[in-house]
Amino acid sequence: MLSVLLMVVPLAGAIVIMLAPARAARGIAMIATLAGAGIAVAAATNFDGWGTGGWGLEFQSELLPTLGITLTLGADSVSLMLILLTALLMPLAVLGSWTAVTTRLREYYGWMLVLSTAMIGVFLARDLLVFYICFEFTLVPMYFLIAIYGSGNRAWASLKFFIYTFLGSLIALAGLLYVVWQHAAVAGAWSFSIPELAAFASTGLTSVEQAWILLALMAGFAVKIPLFPVHTWLPLAHTEAPTAGSVLLAGVLLKLGTYGLYRFVLPMVPAAVVEWAPLIAVLSIIGILYAALICWVQTDVKKLVAYSSVSHLGFCVLGLVALNPLGLQGSVLYMINHGLSTGALFFLIGMMYERYHTRDMGQVGGLASKMPVWSCFMVFFVLASVGLPGLNGFVSEFLCLIGTFAAGGSGAYPGVLGPWLAAIAAIGMIFAAMYLLIMVGKIVFGTLREPPGHASDMPSDLNFREIVVLVPLAIGCILLGVQPDLAIHAMEGAVADTLSAYPDVVTGVLNSVSPQGATP
Amino acid sequence: MIGYAMAITKASAGVPAVPAAEAIMAPELSWAGLILLLPLLSLILCGLCAAAKVTSKLPAVITATALAGAFVTSVFLYLNYQPPGDVIPLLDWMNISWGDGQFESFSANFALYIDSLSLLWIMFVTGLGTLITIYASEYMEPDLGKGYSRFFAGVSVFLFAMAALVLSDNLLMLYLGWEGVGFASYWLIGYYYQRPAAVAAAKKAFIVNRIGDLGLALAVYLIWTTFGTVQYDELMTVLEDGDYRAAFEGWTVSAIPFLLMLAAFGKSAQLPLYVWLPDAMEGPTPVSALIHAATMVTAGIYLVARTYPLFLLEPVSLHVVAWVGGLTALLAATIGMAQYDIKRIMAYSTVSQLGYMFLGLGVLTTYGAAYHVFTHAFFKAVLFLTCGAIMHGFAGQLDLRHLSGLRHMRGWRITAWTMFIGCLCLAGFPFTSGYFSKDAILAEAFVTQGPGFEILGWIAIFTAGLTAYYTFRVWFRVCAGPVAYEPGDELHGEDDHGGEFHPHAPRLAINGVLVLIALGALVAAVPYFMSNTADEHLAGGWVADMVHDSTAREGIPGFHGDAHAGHGDAHPTIFGADPHVAMYWISGTVGMIGLLFAAWLHLWRRSQADAIKAWLLHRAWIGWLPRAMERKWYVDEVYHALIRAPLWILGHILYAFDRFIIDGLLVDSVARIPRGVARCLQPLQSGAVQAMAIVMVGGAAIILLLMALFMQFGWFGGQA
Repeated sequence: MLSVLLMVVPLAGAIVIMLAPARAARGIAMIATLAGAGIAVAAATNFDGWGTGGWGLEFQSELLPTLGITLTLGADSVSLMLILLTALLMPLAVLGSWTAVTTRLREYYGWMLVLSTAMIGVFLARDLLVFYICFEFTLVPMYFLIAIYGSGNRAWASLKFFIYTFLGSLIALAGLLYVVWQHAAVAGAWSFSIPELAAFASTGLTSVEQAWILLALMAGFAVKIPLFPVHTWLPLAHTEAPTAGSVLLAGVLLKLGTYGLYRFVLPMVPAAVVEWAPLIAVLSIIGILYAALICWVQTDVKKLVAYSSVSHLGFCVLGLVALNPLGLQGSVLYMINHGLSTGALFFLIGMMYERYHTRDMGQVGGLASKMPVWSCFMVFFVLASVGLPGLNGFVSEFLCLIGTFAAGGSGAYPGVLGPWLAAIAAIGMIFAAMYLLIMVGKIVFGTLREPPGHASDMPSDLNFREIVVLVPLAIGCILLGVQPDLAIHAMEGAVADTLSAYPDVVTGVLNSVSPQGATP
Repeated sequence: MIGYAMAITKASAGVPAVPAAEAIMAPELSWAGLILLLPLLSLILCGLCAAAKVTSKLPAVITATALAGAFVTSVFLYLNYQPPGDVIPLLDWMNISWGDGQFESFSANFALYIDSLSLLWIMFVTGLGTLITIYASEYMEPDLGKGYSRFFAGVSVFLFAMAALVLSDNLLMLYLGWEGVGFASYWLIGYYYQRPAAVAAAKKAFIVNRIGDLGLALAVYLIWTTFGTVQYDELMTVLEDGDYRAAFEGWTVSAIPFLLMLAAFGKSAQLPLYVWLPDAMEGPTPVSALIHAATMVTAGIYLVARTYPLFLLEPVSLHVVAWVGGLTALLAATIGMAQYDIKRIMAYSTVSQLGYMFLGLGVLTTYGAAYHVFTHAFFKAVLFLTCGAIMHGFAGQLDLRHLSGLRHMRGWRITAWTMFIGCLCLAGFPFTSGYFSKDAILAEAFVTQGPGFEILGWIAIFTAGLTAYYTFRVWFRVCAGPVAYEPGDELHGEDDHGGEFHPHAPRLAINGVLVLIALGALVAAVPYFMSNTADEHLAGGWVADMVHDSTAREGIPGFHGDAHAGHGDAHPTIFGADPHVAMYWISGTVGMIGLLFAAWLHLWRRSQADAIKAWLLHRAWIGWLPRAMERKWYVDEVYHALIRAPLWILGHILYAFDRFIIDGLLVDSVARIPRGVARCLQPLQSGAVQAMAIVMVGGAAIILLLMALFMQFGWFGGQA
């Protein structure tokens, strides 16, 4: 029942907002998101699948049994962690928008809550229809958030965001429907249940079919992540989105792509994944280095952080295709950690923007003397992002890389990557330090530079509300940096389940390739 | 010493790991956690002081107390220490396991490894840390109420990270300390954050160090994939058993020391990664003394000593270490000769001395390297601290052309004479601590057989002469000669008495610390004469004793007949004498020559120095030499031209490529196709998003239809 509540409460909040007067909107949104966070925490404490691969929060209702259409919800430890991230980010996003949004409040908070329902729906979905509907429906609220509340080039940015990711997911849908179709043909009845389909697809489809399905799914998920070279919607959308929009975009929406890889691609098409993992890894590594170099020459600080997401998510995908527990756990941790630290960076940039109405590092800089508290947080989250050991970013980056490194052809979990790919990807560590520290050097340190004639009714340094927004994220960064074991042990079983088919498949592929050589 | 983390099985997932019952731990050693805890506590308290805008010296008092506590704890540990050391678990960090095999778990925890090598390091780190904090309490006075708390918070972070680096029981926690000291260094170099030079120097230090850190990270990956563990004790067990798999056709075992070396060269400022250290002098001087001279920069030496058995697996790696060390020593010394900023001279001198230490590691004397680390920590600290006192008193003046005759000035005698002691040690004047520790390295260069080690030995001796010269160039210029001075460009109001500048002499905190550390630099010669308890056949006194219980023991001369080819029977000689004896004479003589040159050019005939320089500069065949030395051999420029500029240009090219090719040409033109189609279907265009819903359903239907067709013809290769 908690799973239904998780989805319904924000939606109910949105309906109430539509009915209530505009001035009550943000209060209602705050209450609804806090309630959502409370429910998520309750769900997490009642969940007994931590550590084991079990499922919880299950809910099923037969809608059209003859067509196999049901509403099935549920979560394993990995999805529950992402639900927790989403539910905890939501109240912060509302609080962070408190003064930044001044017009059309009802729509703004209404769409935010709808977005929350859709995002949590993606993580809770255990059947394809729920998944797909929620996956696509995240686009609509985000479209409006960018198109109405964005800056400058918002119309183009929102349209591009919508069409690009929409087209991608349409192809993914086609791939998924093909699996449904094939399954129906074999089983004799329609089913949209994800576990059933995954079990069928992983064994019942030929490797050529799997490859096509992989391509279709990647079209949807790679755009969402975004993986090089289908990333260009992201810098634009991020730059123009309102602060809370950027936070949720970086914090949760990008993770829908990696979560899709984790939930669909890995279990459904193992043979194709093993075959194509090196290519995916190469694309991720290109993305890591390419985006990092682009970050280096940015002058717009928000665009810099946006490109850094492309770079960071490359590590995340790399960990996924390492196909061993180290990489996979690192990757899931990466999803959470990136949500915390990059989310916080977007908040911080938003706070600066509220005061100076510019994101240009040429115009504003040296804020340490004017905004010491803001600067402390900025440096802290940059360090988390750079991967300073002791903070969260390090753990996930380290695990992704060592997972890739160890993904050679032997051991309990043989893989198809290896040390060279990991070594090249690791150069991203140096680049990350370069562009992020250069950014800090410009906007935090140096002599104070403020744009001429800026006027703002905000206090010069952070106010209490803004500190309240940042502190939970900072606590999360420290907690997951010092005690990553909490999350690592929690997801152990789930990760092992996801990987269960792989050792055999990888061994099979390696054996079939090596003795005969490349046979056409 | 059972690796407790191995006890974690899959069944206990989610439950905090419990140290295995077999892990026998001396109760006295359980205090070791305090060494990490106290600086952390001090960090928090200093943070609170900053938040509460404390304007007193409270942060300094807190930090000094905490560090003194850490020092007392480490001495206590030393007194209660029994070989072969112990592992003290503190807190779980990362434990992943998917089986019970050797390569089926990864664990790295916050746990301390107490052996004599880590004790040696932690004692001088905390001891000097405490003294330099006391010094800084006076030095940082002008910033009271402004950056004072921030400064001491940074010092606390540094001590915490350094303790983690030195005491860790695994390579990952060492990595935490490694990056942590880098971060503390970034924090403190950039302390004067409104000065662009300081911000740039801080950034440079962090980024150049990151290149080394990449080496360390890759080494950790390789060590885990090769040995299945990153904990020292388990690693050594695996090494002894020879029970490691020849992963990746065995090349990994050879690659590991080279990657570790890269890390060590980054942190310890060796060629080609030394460029950040001279710039790091932008930080407040106590920081330069503590971090960039005495402690942090020796972390590279520590890393190599700690992982010495891995280096011994691949002898070529040690040859490279020796050559890089020797060449860095020479190069940095030549740069140091040509600089005018006394703090920078000391910085290059640090690079040069670190080169000696690596030379020592390379020629198989971990003992010599460790002893030089130990003596250098004291004498270089005192040299930096005297430079700081001068800088503090003369409003930032550091140019040796504008300072003279300090030893005759009221209130400056302690500074001048403690600096003199430091100079004697650095120059390797006979019977000072630096003399013994340097000779321990120099002699081994002639004893140990290796490619060109004898040449390397002569290079090192020549460099010793240069060292004596540039060291006393500073002292004769600044402290001797007639009294003359000009203030620097950081005039505080208090120095300005009616338009005339009066330097303010150091007071109790600075003078007291200077005297104590100078005494320490002299006393550091004593361990050389102390007898060995671990193995009485060994030479080298107390420091060799401390190294003996650790993984670096293979590098003590005489430990193994076989480790030192030629030691014993066919002992090589220099001019017919035993190298150890010959070196006393040779290095003493070379040092005296350097000292006399300095006295001639910078005390007795100061005008001659300028004349000679002018003469050199106008001779085409040699003129490039002093110019190149003054411009630091153009290494910064080379970096800029070969790495930074190309990458920066590449960044711009990629950004343009991203916008115009990927986004503009590919994405937007694809987008234009449906737009053209949509123009024919006008109604769809009006309400874009409402239309999307229709398109969504319609599009899915079309694709389904297509798929049905595809399947009909079996194009998916499936059924048909």
